[in-house]
Amino acid sequence: MADRRFQVARLPGFATIAVLVFLALYLPILTLVGFAFNAENSISVWGGFSLKWFAAAWKNQAVQDAALRSLTIATLSALIATSVATLAALGTTRRPAFRGRGFIYVMINQPLMVPEIVTAVALLILFGIVKQATGYQGLGYLVAAHSAFCIPFAYLPIRARLAGMDASLEIAAADLYASPIATFRRVTLPLLAPGIMAGAMLAFVISLDDVVITEFVKSGGQDTLPTYMLGQMRRAITPEVNAISTLLLALTVALLTAFFLLTRQKD
Amino acid sequence: MTRFLTTAALLLGTTGLAQAEGTLQLYNWGNYTSPELLAKFEAETGIKVTVTDYDSNDVALAKIEAGGHGFDLVVPSANYVPIWVEKGLAVEFDLSKLPNHANIAPEWKDVEWDKGRTHSIPWQWGSTGMAVNTAVYGGDINTSAVFLNVPDELKGKINVVPEMNDIVNLAVMANGGQPCSEDTVVLKAARDALLAAKPDWLSMDYGATENLSNNNWAASVNWNGSTMRARLANPTVAYGYPKEGYPLFMDSVMLLSDAQNVEEAYKFLDFIMVPENAAMISAFARYANGIAGSEPFMPEDMKTAPEVMIPEEFKAAGVFLPTCGPKAQEYITAIWTELQK
Repeated sequence: MADRRFQVARLPGFATIAVLVFLALYLPILTLVGFAFNAENSISVWGGFSLKWFAAAWKNQAVQDAALRSLTIATLSALIATSVATLAALGTTRRPAFRGRGFIYVMINQPLMVPEIVTAVALLILFGIVKQATGYQGLGYLVAAHSAFCIPFAYLPIRARLAGMDASLEIAAADLYASPIATFRRVTLPLLAPGIMAGAMLAFVISLDDVVITEFVKSGGQDTLPTYMLGQMRRAITPEVNAISTLLLALTVALLTAFFLLTRQKD
Repeated sequence: MTRFLTTAALLLGTTGLAQAEGTLQLYNWGNYTSPELLAKFEAETGIKVTVTDYDSNDVALAKIEAGGHGFDLVVPSANYVPIWVEKGLAVEFDLSKLPNHANIAPEWKDVEWDKGRTHSIPWQWGSTGMAVNTAVYGGDINTSAVFLNVPDELKGKINVVPEMNDIVNLAVMANGGQPCSEDTVVLKAARDALLAAKPDWLSMDYGATENLSNNNWAASVNWNGSTMRARLANPTVAYGYPKEGYPLFMDSVMLLSDAQNVEEAYKFLDFIMVPENAAMISAFARYANGIAGSEPFMPEDMKTAPEVMIPEEFKAAGVFLPTCGPKAQEYITAIWTELQK
């Protein structure tokens, strides 16, 4: 007898809709990637296969500087955000429920709810005052801003991992006279490590992709790869932008794949 | 890791570049500044120019207003120049430090938005006109009738770029009015003309360079620089200057009132008014520059480009769109909204 349970996959038109959704998601990206290999100076007229736009992007000093800056900011921000998020996740799960925990949870995840432009304008005003008062114009502002909005992205996978971890292992360690520090180092941290790595990668990718907040916070000579690309839009766009996008996309996909693999092995 | 952290610490430590000797912070539209120009400037003066990009007049204005930005020079569009002056964000030039000021072409010297060029130096300029594939339509293209009274050959094949001020003011000028007109008779005529013409348009979209190049569109209201690039790819594309009047645009360099590197900024401003250097700006971004005598130094394909060098007979019809008053802007927006329905 056939399985009579309700299954979405059996509904009429399921395959059609699924294909359409995947096309809508990936066709634009595939087009973009395709024209990165265009031999012509055009993002819509195909003129043969060529790698010259990758070479052009690679040789472009502005692109190199922006890429290095993006990676520096993303690495520092991911480190800071993940450290803070790990502490926050431990503080909100590894202790009895307390008043205001829900409130703290919402506060930590605030960057997910508040429109980015609001945060950007707020930071523009605040950092404007600080920059005038201190005279400091360095990358610190971007690192601080990125760290802040990356925290929830690092927090969520770490918290999910912690919630799924068996607390009896830590209790057992305590029973065997392990000090709290030793329990944390020998039991909690190793078990939590995949969650922390996943959180760090997500934070890294989010920082790498950010446009709006960066555009408003950056000081002189601090264009990141996404703001550099945004700046190209007013004039004719060449496949060089496609080539940069393709490289950025490849990096993002690689990291997200690693994220997926790390969160999957939940034995 | 240690090495990375050291690098990071060094990067973080590069504070106040703006205060250092021999540097200059230029805040400009993205992909608009010739790297060769900056290299030449550095070779001549020892001053290192850092360029930071923006993508809209409003973002640039907001960032400078917030303070603490560290920039010295900014390049706003013509209708924004008076705003920068009124807000006290940009200063009047000390013309004694700009001997090359005399090189500004006569037609750009006394512009409506900066009389005598005391606050802004021309960077680049262009126009909005009619890009038409002459293989499809062989009639007169130097008229707004191309999009307001679409010839049969172009019906359903013409695009109109969705730039509110450009399009509404083209229609206003075609109906005998001035840009930012508050004359309701003229405005009604302009609105009716736009609404009557709209069914004959194919689309209202950006991307004219591409779509004219690959024959998706037979015509478009379009900018001159974009049309030149389309013509280089598709030689039958031509650019018409509506004799009824057409909008001009210009981006100009202004000196910020809280600039840190004022002497360096003056050197740069004077430098870009040397014809040979102004030609380098044009060669990179493919627009004309507003400095007299720069033509001989321009790339060959630009020297003769009818899109860049406005033919003498059409020069008079070009108009800079002023910053419209609130009432005029309200009318323009109302017409635009109706057109979008």
